[in-house]
Amino acid sequence: MLFLQFLTTGVVTGCFLILATIGFSLTRRVEGFLNIAHAELLGVGAFTTWWLNADKDWHIVPAGVAAIMFTALVGLFVARLIYDPIRERGPAVLLITSTGVAFVIGGVIDAMIGTGIRTLEIGLATSYEPFGIRITNYQLIVVAFAAVVSVSLALFLNRTRTGLAIRAMSVNPDLAASRGIDVRTTSRATWLLSSGLAGLAGVMLAVLATLTTDLPFAQILQILAVAILAGLGSLYTVILSGLIIGIAMDVSVYWIPAGYRPLVAFSLVILVLLFRPEGLAGTRAA
Amino acid sequence: MLLKRLGWLRLLAALMAFSLVAAACGDDDDVATDPPAEQTDGEGPPAVEDSSAAGEVTVGVLVPLTGELGEFGAIVADAIEFGVSEINDAGGTQCGMIRTVVADTGGDAETGIREATNMIESEGAVAVLGPTSGVMVALVDLAKREEVVIMSPYAGTITLNELGGDFVYRTVSSDLGDGAASGLWLSSRGYESVAFLIQNEESTISPAEVARGAVETSGIDITDFVVYNPGQPSYQAELTTVLANEPDAIFLAGGQESGVTVIKEAVVGGFDGEWLFTADLAVPEIFDAVGAELINDVAFVEFADADPSLPEFISFEERYDAAGDPFAPNSFDMVTLVALALEASGQCDGAGVNSVIRDVADSDGTLVSTFAEGQAALAAGESINYEGASGPLVFDESGTVSGAYTIQQAQAGEWVNIEFYPASTFDG
Repeated sequence: MLFLQFLTTGVVTGCFLILATIGFSLTRRVEGFLNIAHAELLGVGAFTTWWLNADKDWHIVPAGVAAIMFTALVGLFVARLIYDPIRERGPAVLLITSTGVAFVIGGVIDAMIGTGIRTLEIGLATSYEPFGIRITNYQLIVVAFAAVVSVSLALFLNRTRTGLAIRAMSVNPDLAASRGIDVRTTSRATWLLSSGLAGLAGVMLAVLATLTTDLPFAQILQILAVAILAGLGSLYTVILSGLIIGIAMDVSVYWIPAGYRPLVAFSLVILVLLFRPEGLAGTRAA
Repeated sequence: MLLKRLGWLRLLAALMAFSLVAAACGDDDDVATDPPAEQTDGEGPPAVEDSSAAGEVTVGVLVPLTGELGEFGAIVADAIEFGVSEINDAGGTQCGMIRTVVADTGGDAETGIREATNMIESEGAVAVLGPTSGVMVALVDLAKREEVVIMSPYAGTITLNELGGDFVYRTVSSDLGDGAASGLWLSSRGYESVAFLIQNEESTISPAEVARGAVETSGIDITDFVVYNPGQPSYQAELTTVLANEPDAIFLAGGQESGVTVIKEAVVGGFDGEWLFTADLAVPEIFDAVGAELINDVAFVEFADADPSLPEFISFEERYDAAGDPFAPNSFDMVTLVALALEASGQCDGAGVNSVIRDVADSDGTLVSTFAEGQAALAAGESINYEGASGPLVFDESGTVSGAYTIQQAQAGEWVNIEFYPASTFDG
C-alpha cells in the first residue's frame, strides 16, 4: 500500500512536470532553442496569481486565468523584444540570451515581490482516500490539467490550421515558409501558447507550494531533465517523460533517502541517453 | 541529421553542466556571496599609521550593512558603537581610546577578506568584529597569519567548531547547541515516537543529528529521519512514510518555504501530533501562511536567545535602548571583551588580545559586567571574570560560548515563551 502511495504521489509530480515542460519543449521544437527563461515565466504566472488572489481578493479561477493570459503576453513580448532580433545568430546565442532574460525576469519579480514567503487565499487542501490511497483535491486538479492540456494540445496541433502550421515549422521552417505558412504569425502563436502553458504551470505551483521568488527557477533542472529525456521528437513523449521522471523520483523514496530525488531524475536521463542518445522520442518528427 | 542531433545533445550536456554550476553559485549567494556592496564609514581615507602611538587603538567593524542580512549588521554595528562609547567614556584602554573602522561586506566573503585586510594592514586594527558565518570562515587564515582577533556575535556555523579557538572567537553558540536544546525539549515531552524532517543543509542536518542523539538516548523511537531538498512544489513523497508511521511529534528543521508546505501537507494527510520547529519558523508570518488553527497549541519553536533574567542583561537593557534587538548583547560583549583584553594584556596588538581573552572572560577573579568595572579591578591588580550581557562567556576549545535557548508555543496566533534553557543547562 505504501508503494502505491508513492506511485500516486509520483503521478502527481509527473503531471506537474508535464505542465512545466510541455511549453518549454514546444518552444524548443518550433523556435529551435532552449528557453531557460521559461522557468521564470512560471514565476510570472505564480506571482500574478498570488497578487490577484491574495492581494486583490480575486477568486482563484479568474486570478489564474488572468495570470495565464498575462504570462502568455509577457512571453510574447520578451520573444519579440529580445529573441526575434537575434534569431539569426543561432541557438547557442539564443540559449545564453535566454539565461540573461531569466535573470532579468527573476530580478524584476524580486524587486516587485521582495523577500519572504507568499501563499494563496484558497484554504487548505481536502484529502481523499480512495482504496486507502491518499490524494488531495489540489493534486487531482494538477492531474486533470495535465490530462486536459495534453489532449487539447494534441487536438490543437492536429486539427487546427495554426496547429498544423506550428507542426510544419517545427519540422522544416524553410519548407513551411515556402509552402505559404506565415512564419511570423506562427512563431507568435507558439510563444503565446508555450508562455501560456508556463503560466498555467505557475498557477499550479502557486496552488501547491509556498512561493518564494527563488522557487520558480528552482524547477529548471527538472524541466531540463524531462525535456532531455523526451528528446526532440513528438510532444507526446514529454508526457511520457514527465510521468517517468515524476514516478521514478517519488517511488525512489521507497528505497533510498529523499535527498537523492534529483539524483534519481538525472541518473535516469543519463541511463536513457546512454542507450538511446536521441531521447525517448527517437528521430525528430512531427 | 545525426550530426545535428549530436550537436543538440552536446549543447544539452553543456547546458546541464552550466545549469548545475549556476545552481551551485546560487546556493553560495544565499550563504555568503550576495552582490558585493562595500561602504566604508566616514572616518576619512585609510591612513597607514600606528594608531596606538596616536593615542588610539583601532577595532574593525566588519558587518553586512546591505543584502539579506543587512538588518542584523546594522544592529551589530550600533551595539558595538554603544560599547565603544562606554569604553571611551571610562577613559579608554591603556592603549588609548577605541576607534572603529566600519565596512560593509554585503554578506560576501571576498569583500570581507578585502575589507578585513584593509582594516588590519592599513588601519592597524587589533580586532575585527562582526563577520557573518561565511565571511568568518573565510577570514580564519588571515586572522591567524596577521595575529588579529576576529569575533562574531552570530556566526553559528559548525565549520568554526573545527577552525576556531586561536584568534577566532564568537559570542554566540554553535548551531550544534540548537540541536542539544531541541533534543532536550523533544525528550522531555513524553513522546513515544518522533519523526525528523530535515532540510538538506549543513546548518540544519548537524544540529538535527545532535537532537537525534539526545532523543535516542532517552529511549524515544525515531520513526523517520528524512533529509529533503527545498524548492519543491510538494513534499508529499517525503511525508509518505512519516505519516504512515504516525509519530507523536515531528521535528521540522527547515526554511519557511519548505516548512509551510510540509506543515500543510502533513496536516491534510492526517497528522495530528505535535511539532517542533527551528528558528526560521519562529516568525509571526507563519501563522498567516500556514493558518493559525493548524498549529495553535501543538507547535513549538526553538531558538538561541539571551537570558533576560541575568542581572548583566537587565543592566544592559537599562543602559541601551536597543538591547532587545537580535545579537545586540552579543555584539556589546565582543567589543567590551576586546577592550578588557587590551587592558589586561599590557600589549596593544591582536596577539595581546588573543593571549588573555579567555582569562578575562572566565577566571576565578572579580566578577565584572562593564568595561569600567573591569578596568578598575585590573588597576587594583585583580584578575577579572567578565559576565556578558548575552550570558556567561566561557569559550570552549573552538572559541565558542555556550548558548541559552528559548522554546515558544503557538498560542492563539502568536508565539509565546514557555520554556527557557540557560547556558548552564548544557555545561558539561
